[in-house]
Amino acid sequence: MLLITCPHCGPRDESEFSCGGEAHIARPLAENNLTDAEFADYLFLRDNPKGLFLERWRHAAGCRRWFNMARDTVTHEIVEIYPMGSGPASQAGKAAHAASWRRDTAAEAAAKPAPKARAKKEQVS
Amino acid sequence: MASVSNEGQRPPGRTALTDMTVMTHDNPDGGKPGLVITELAHLGKINLRGGSDMLPVISNHTGCSALPDNNRVVSVGDRHIVWLGPDEFLLLCAAGSETHLHSQLTLDMAGIHAAVTNVTDSLCALSLRGKAVRRVLAKGCALDLHSSKFGTGDCAQTMLAHAAVTLIAHDAPGFTLVCRTSFAPYVTEWLMDAGLEFGASFRG
Repeated sequence: MLLITCPHCGPRDESEFSCGGEAHIARPLAENNLTDAEFADYLFLRDNPKGLFLERWRHAAGCRRWFNMARDTVTHEIVEIYPMGSGPASQAGKAAHAASWRRDTAAEAAAKPAPKARAKKEQVS
Repeated sequence: MASVSNEGQRPPGRTALTDMTVMTHDNPDGGKPGLVITELAHLGKINLRGGSDMLPVISNHTGCSALPDNNRVVSVGDRHIVWLGPDEFLLLCAAGSETHLHSQLTLDMAGIHAAVTNVTDSLCALSLRGKAVRRVLAKGCALDLHSSKFGTGDCAQTMLAHAAVTLIAHDAPGFTLVCRTSFAPYVTEWLMDAGLEFGASFRG
């Protein structure tokens, strides 16, 4: 059993939490045309690494808030717990984030506005 | 902190534990039962969602000077504000006063990004007293319940024997336990069973 430190409630038993799977999966924007195969990377493919893994967790039986956690899937060591919407701060967490195959996918690149669309938006504003 | 209580007569109307038999398992070592369970029938419960801008309104109706910190309870008289999350609180008030309080809070919260919900009948409150309370709870709860870690004015939402509960600790060796109405008979029966070795009494 893991002892997980909820950012709001403090250290609690693992049974109070539910794991939301891989973190940092950005949704591709509709304006960026993706092939089905590219979209599948976003929709279906999830990482299952041996080693440090960046995950989303929710304190289901407590404050019911989501947070991110960098956990080693081999040793169960919790390297870091950090808020939703931000990236890992630890060296190991940053390295795991950068090393993920997802960083090179077209789906992730398409989560940002395309350069053309960006230029258009700037003109409008 | 004053303990949560339903002073005076038990209010009319059915509750989650109306059908449960009042019973006592004698303390095998003699003396008083180590666990005494009493239902705080119809205790008023109001759920508050919102940020710190709710404070003036809540303060106006409860007399509290600040919202509770994480895992803490603020009590003024018979009104208790229980921390549930970064923007969520449970307000406990005397049975029968919740309807008026709810409408007053709703009116005064106009213009504030907040939600006031009367959850009196969706939750059941139990008063747990006796010398063995912490030892009984510890059988089904992963929380560190030692009085140095979970003392007066502390509260926690946690699991008790797989049921989601909110525990509130008082200065007297007693707790208020809040759980779903539908879970109340199960939680009560589990507590009676877990309290067998210390003597347990359900007073209705």
